[in-house]
Amino acid sequence: MRTSIFVLSIIIFLLFSVIFISYAQEAPEVSERGKEVYEESCAHCHGVEGRGDGSAAKNLLPQPRDFTGGIYKIRSTASGELPTDKDLFDIISKGMPGSSMPEWESALSADDRWEVVSYIKTFYEGFKENESPPKEISLDGKIPYSEESVEIGKFFYTQFACFECHGNAGRGDGTSAPTLQDEWGFKSWPANLTENWNFRGGSSTEDIYKRFIGGIAGSAMPMFEDASFGLTIEEAQRYGQLENKVEMTDTEDEEFNTLDEKMGNAYDILDMMTEGLANEEQKQKHAEAMKIFQEKSWHITNYVKSLAPEKRPEPAIGKNALRSQYTVDTLPTIDDAAWGTLEASYFPLVGQIIVEPRQFNPTIDSVNVKSFYNDTEVAFLFIWDDRTNNTEEQENEDFGKTYEDAIAIQFPVKIPQDPTAPKPYFLWGGKKAVYLWQWKASAVNSVTELTAKGITNAEVQEVQGDIQAEGKYTDGQYRLWVKRALKTDDKKDLQIEPGVFVPIAFSVWDGANGDIDTKRVISSWYSFVLEPVPSSRRFIYPPIVALLSLGILVGLRGFVYRRNS
Amino acid sequence: MKTKMLICFALLIACGFGLFVFADDHEEEEMNKLVFSKETYKTMKVNNGGKISGVVKFEGEVPEKKKLAINKDPAVCGVVDKFDESLVVGENMALKNTIVYLMDITQGKDFDKDAKVELDQKECRFNPHVQIIPVGTALTVLNNDKATHNVHIFGTKKNGTSINKQQTRNRKRMKLAAAKGAEGPVEVKCDIHGWMKAWVAYVPHPYFAVTNEKGEFTLEDVPPGEYKLGYWHETCGNNNKEPVVVTVAAGGELKQDFTLKIKK
Ligand code: HEC
Ligand code: HEC
Repeated sequence: MRTSIFVLSIIIFLLFSVIFISYAQEAPEVSERGKEVYEESCAHCHGVEGRGDGSAAKNLLPQPRDFTGGIYKIRSTASGELPTDKDLFDIISKGMPGSSMPEWESALSADDRWEVVSYIKTFYEGFKENESPPKEISLDGKIPYSEESVEIGKFFYTQFACFECHGNAGRGDGTSAPTLQDEWGFKSWPANLTENWNFRGGSSTEDIYKRFIGGIAGSAMPMFEDASFGLTIEEAQRYGQLENKVEMTDTEDEEFNTLDEKMGNAYDILDMMTEGLANEEQKQKHAEAMKIFQEKSWHITNYVKSLAPEKRPEPAIGKNALRSQYTVDTLPTIDDAAWGTLEASYFPLVGQIIVEPRQFNPTIDSVNVKSFYNDTEVAFLFIWDDRTNNTEEQENEDFGKTYEDAIAIQFPVKIPQDPTAPKPYFLWGGKKAVYLWQWKASAVNSVTELTAKGITNAEVQEVQGDIQAEGKYTDGQYRLWVKRALKTDDKKDLQIEPGVFVPIAFSVWDGANGDIDTKRVISSWYSFVLEPVPSSRRFIYPPIVALLSLGILVGLRGFVYRRNS
Repeated sequence: MKTKMLICFALLIACGFGLFVFADDHEEEEMNKLVFSKETYKTMKVNNGGKISGVVKFEGEVPEKKKLAINKDPAVCGVVDKFDESLVVGENMALKNTIVYLMDITQGKDFDKDAKVELDQKECRFNPHVQIIPVGTALTVLNNDKATHNVHIFGTKKNGTSINKQQTRNRKRMKLAAAKGAEGPVEVKCDIHGWMKAWVAYVPHPYFAVTNEKGEFTLEDVPPGEYKLGYWHETCGNNNKEPVVVTVAAGGELKQDFTLKIKK
């Protein structure tokens, strides 16, 4: 009896095994090599089954893509279309800056990358059903970069309403920015267009053009159709002018209505095209309107391109260290035009991931700094982008708690003897203490001096020195001006001397990104120096010294001479 | 003998586990979906069809009406107060915006060709909040605001990736290409005005209704027969697992009410 149960269960088991195996084999033939590469390099983020739920995924924002859904951000195809194989190959090769998706160009051979492209496509049915290749965005009619084109583009950046999310100056601080989410329900921020090295899909003119023509699927970033369809560039500009008028004369009113009607017609034809109902004449008209739309779009692209420097600046170390400029005058205040004469030095920041709580998804790229000094004082201008101005702790139903924005500027208490001598631990010191200036968005005109011997071991200095500060927030950017005497009486303060390189580091808190305490973005040690006094002064001194010493020598000789006689 | 028993046990458990794993995969995906017959729907003339009607009610404590925070374009969007519409309970606990439909019908009447399939954006609110769209019909989105919106229809597995199109204040109407297959409901959002939310469902046959303020629904011209009657509500979920089975007689009238609770 028992034996028969045993036999029966073995039979059942075998039966099930056969069913499961045949079920599994229904799946399309997969590239063995692609699977191998995927499981080795991608699965810990994207999940073995491609659901974006790998073991490393839970802290990451944006989340690793779920490949079973067919949503791809970086495409050269229209909204609603899948990416091309080349799109996938390129994004795997180059990675997605500003997210945790690494580049694989250096780690995987081109063949392996192609294999893994075929493999990730097996996770989503839609790739199979697509008999015809997806329609690619046309790159015709590219307009070369010029000041003129940038100026026209600026107008259309506003008319196409990019500023709603990306802000007036393009720093990602538009009024819609705080409420944006991606389709998976996570907070997502509009790109800061002035830092295009963080673009997910590249910063070339063509890349930018494709991103807003095709939209960024899964994100809030829509695809664009012409906001003044059917109107020429001049007409569109005129329409914008009239629209903003508080009162129009009768002729202006008529002009406006004519343009409005022209636009309405073009949109009607566009709808008919969508439904495949347009006749030849309408198709002709549509083609003309599309051509102008492309022109407008290339102008916008040139404008977006103009917002960022040619390439990511070099960090402020070595020959790029921050050089404070000498001036004989009083030091400039925060809004003084003199600041415009200096190039800023670039201090890149990264999320603090050493001490809990950590910041895995930083939102602030860098601090940019300028500085002047004179015989007694030094002034700094610290500049950093932050999409929102948070001055207090707030509870937000959709996005959780937000905190106050802040920055801390860190120096050693004692300057190391030479550049190779050990500095204090970069995370707010350790055995060797650091000296800090802390500034908070709720008290814009003051900085507090701290001494710290570790990231959780900071003390407000009992004696607060005479430091002047002024902070301002405009268009997604903080500017903090700080002025202090070169020398102070406080042994806990840094003493600054011309010509000596001083280590400097930063901690920045973006309250809207949940930054508080050790959760913040940080830099390692960089350096600054009071650029030694311009050489003209150096030329005055030596002759004086020479003359003086000559005088002393002459005097001494006279003295000796007299004594001897 | 004991070891044999143990092995039996282990093998059977392994089989059970295998079944469990395969089932789990699919169930999760059904959570937020309508159920359609796999057969393609055939239209025919329906004479002397039956009628199913009823009222959908809410059970439980009615949460306080939540006023939406208007943090953008107040001149256009802030004129009229707006409220969260994810659970709209009227008099007598009537539940608005519930989709009631026949799950397994394969033939019957055609869609009403004159019915407008429009989603309006007015004073920065989508109207209607829940709507059904016949498969193969383009959705017309209206912009009656002097503000720029973006129409973001979330992605579904069948219809591919999401649609997200800017509709500036200059564009009064915009046609969105028809969906390829029956699917949904999916969320519609305007990201520019983060509070603007709605739902659309792409459906293969016309036996669908969305309840009104009184919680009422009516399905007319139903060919006689036995059907599974399903519902879906944004906050109260669906009855995909235990649909109500109804038998419609020729020319008959049938009443079926539902009482829904907040989905845990
Ligand atoms: C450290 C985690 C991590 C690893 C490892 C990783 N990815 Fe990613 N990947 C991500 C994240 C996060 C995103 C989403 C980024 C975003 O949405 O901006 C992503 C997105 C993608 C995308 C979507 C691109 C698009 O246009 O939306 C593809 C394709 C991709 N990864 C392929 C791969 C492949 C292939 C590998 C292995 C060779 C891999 N990834 C390894 C984190 C990772
Ligand atoms: C509804 C809000 C919204 C509007 C309007 C909008 N964007 Fe975006 N944009 C975003 C978001 C969100 C992202 C980040 C997407 C991501 O990476 O997930 C983004 C990213 C970008 C990027 C970076 C692409 C990359 O590769 O990372 C560019 C360039 C861009 N937008 C340009 C534009 C232009 C030009 C316009 C106007 C024609 C515009 N955007 C309008 C929300 C918006």
